[in-house]
Amino acid sequence: MIETEQSVTIAADIGTVWTFARDIRRWAGLMPGMQECEIVDDDNSRWTLKVGVGGLVRTVRVAVHVEQWDEPEQVLFAYRLEGDPVQGGGSYRAIASGTEATEVTLHVRVEGGGPMAPMWEAMGRPLLPQLAKGFAGQLKAEIEKAAGMAEQAIPLAAERRSWLARVFDWLRRLWRPAST
Amino acid sequence: MIRNIPEKWDLEADVVAIGSGIGGLSAAITAHDYGASTLVLERSGQVGGVTALSMGEVWVAGNHHAKELGIEDSVESGFRYLERLSMGYGSTAAILNLTANARHALKYFEDRIGLRMEVIRDCPDYYYTVSNDSVAEGRMLECEPFPGQSLGEWQPRTRLSPQMPYGLTHADMFAAGGVANMMKWDFAKMGERLTNDERCLGPGLAAYFVKGALDRGIPLMTGASAEELIADGTRVVGVRVVDDGRDVFVKANKAVIVAVSSYEENHDYNKTLSQQLDLGSMLFSGINGANFRLAGPLGARVARVPDITSLGIRVPGEEDEEGRPLWRSALAVIGQPHTIVVNRAGRRFGNEAFYRSFYYTIDAIDGGNQTHPNFPCWVVIDSQVREKYPFASLTPGQDWPEGFGARADTVAELARMIGVDARGLEDTIARFNANAEKGEDPDFGRGTHPWSVWMCGDPFHKPNPNLGPLVKPPFYAVELHRLGGSAIPAAGILTDQDSCVMGWDDRPIEGLYAAGNSVARMETGAVMQSGISNARGMTHGWLAARHACGDPSPLLRQEAERLGL
Repeated sequence: MIETEQSVTIAADIGTVWTFARDIRRWAGLMPGMQECEIVDDDNSRWTLKVGVGGLVRTVRVAVHVEQWDEPEQVLFAYRLEGDPVQGGGSYRAIASGTEATEVTLHVRVEGGGPMAPMWEAMGRPLLPQLAKGFAGQLKAEIEKAAGMAEQAIPLAAERRSWLARVFDWLRRLWRPAST
Repeated sequence: MIRNIPEKWDLEADVVAIGSGIGGLSAAITAHDYGASTLVLERSGQVGGVTALSMGEVWVAGNHHAKELGIEDSVESGFRYLERLSMGYGSTAAILNLTANARHALKYFEDRIGLRMEVIRDCPDYYYTVSNDSVAEGRMLECEPFPGQSLGEWQPRTRLSPQMPYGLTHADMFAAGGVANMMKWDFAKMGERLTNDERCLGPGLAAYFVKGALDRGIPLMTGASAEELIADGTRVVGVRVVDDGRDVFVKANKAVIVAVSSYEENHDYNKTLSQQLDLGSMLFSGINGANFRLAGPLGARVARVPDITSLGIRVPGEEDEEGRPLWRSALAVIGQPHTIVVNRAGRRFGNEAFYRSFYYTIDAIDGGNQTHPNFPCWVVIDSQVREKYPFASLTPGQDWPEGFGARADTVAELARMIGVDARGLEDTIARFNANAEKGEDPDFGRGTHPWSVWMCGDPFHKPNPNLGPLVKPPFYAVELHRLGGSAIPAAGILTDQDSCVMGWDDRPIEGLYAAGNSVARMETGAVMQSGISNARGMTHGWLAARHACGDPSPLLRQEAERLGL
């Protein structure tokens, strides 16, 4: 088994972060290489991803099952690759680290199965941290973007923010169009 | 000669190498070390070229690593080995030139750029036991793992292979029983190497040369497509490059070296130069015959040697970095036990475990009925393969992908599904099985070449590592497609012993050189030997730079005199 943990601090309160995190479509949309997300029901979905390993890009289909929703701090999930003997699981944990900041920690594990289990885990070893890091970074960016837009629409919320936070927001808005 | 000098030059260097594989980088590094200013132009966004897609083997006869291991070998033995491969289609001078110079070029780069090579133990020449001048091991070299992180900002811009398991060396793979015994590989080591970006095989070899260029401060211009050579009426003096849609004129004071590989991604050239139809390719799209378009207007002479058509497989769901379906070679797969290849009649037609014999049969033409009797063709396996061996990228324990070939509980049903003569296939398998049980293939001699055992055999399978009966259902069949030779072409530009491009008047074109797979394969002629392509690129680039910088290699003349040729 291999596993990774990635933490990010998001400049939004834990409730705002949860509003985003509880929507599985939004999760899926942040996943690097995501092609399609089919929602089966509240707890089950089927993701189609293009995953890069070296110069190879491989399409994989992943069945994702949310085992537990603990609003607003925790989500536990499991997944299984379709056609490949690979499964795993993980958790999303959020802790308020201030009125306008939330620390999110993603933990993901991969378990290869069958006679080639060591190969699947060897290939996943460099890939897993990249995917988790990419996902965490996207999660932060998207929530802060949404939070920033809300602030523009609701000046009262913005007034509560520190001077420094507002300067950072301004800088982020300046930078964002050039990077997309 | 043409005269097309621009009104002004945008850049200037003494030596301009076009292409960033081992040929172009060898030339640039050597020229730099002779005191010349150098520049490398690369059309794609990544450096390393086709070298990075290869297995990274470098075939060098009489090399010092073999000598240190006490392996007996010599330049003249390597020369005679290649002469026999050539079958008269190559050039004696070119063959001796390569064998005389390659070992010195190897030592040069080991001393200068920190290239670390070693003998691939127990890796025989293709024709070991067939040719008197073959060796059981010693000529095939590979690099030690290269630390990718040392490339700095060029780490993600130095090409990796989508097909090769570059987290392991040949030594790692074959110590565990080779490709067939993938289940026994040390995947903990592979995972550690991939995580730390330690590159083996072709990606490692290419990275050593990229690092050599970076350490010297040689500019590597990516996204720079060389479109036209510039001449002053007497010699080549520069290159017109298109960079981001804009013409950039690069002046070359001493030399332009064309090292852009071959033309495998150009179907028109494949058809008209190689007589190959609808080839798949494991390369990237830039390998499309720029060598001919650049050197052609200068009057460069083209030469061609006999060539093979390889066979390939596409596994659903796999793409290359350009978003195109990924091709994989069938070479190792079709020589494993419990595996055969058949034509429409359900008949085998060659030794599947020795591609240098088998692949000459793919495009054979029956003039009587205007068909290719052996194409299309199918690889047929039984369930033992699925349980024990890799099949393309499918490994034991993986599901058989939807839409990938056919699967049936009986041979007859399988034949009907793929449109092959059922009686023919049943008879073929019955005959193959009876002989395979005895470890024999009286029809085509499969399992008699030591190289076949090394490359696609299962050394733990008895009595013959390349032969096993197809008896366990379900049975599987996948149609094989024509595949290019991984940039090893039939045709190329003719050069002399200093890698100077020759004109149709048999005189060198001043200022113009070529290296690697851009050059006609006069060193191998009719047949190839793995590891020669990388050896050619490295040696051609080294020779070209030496000549351009005023110090041409004397080794061909010296060896010819010594051998009385």
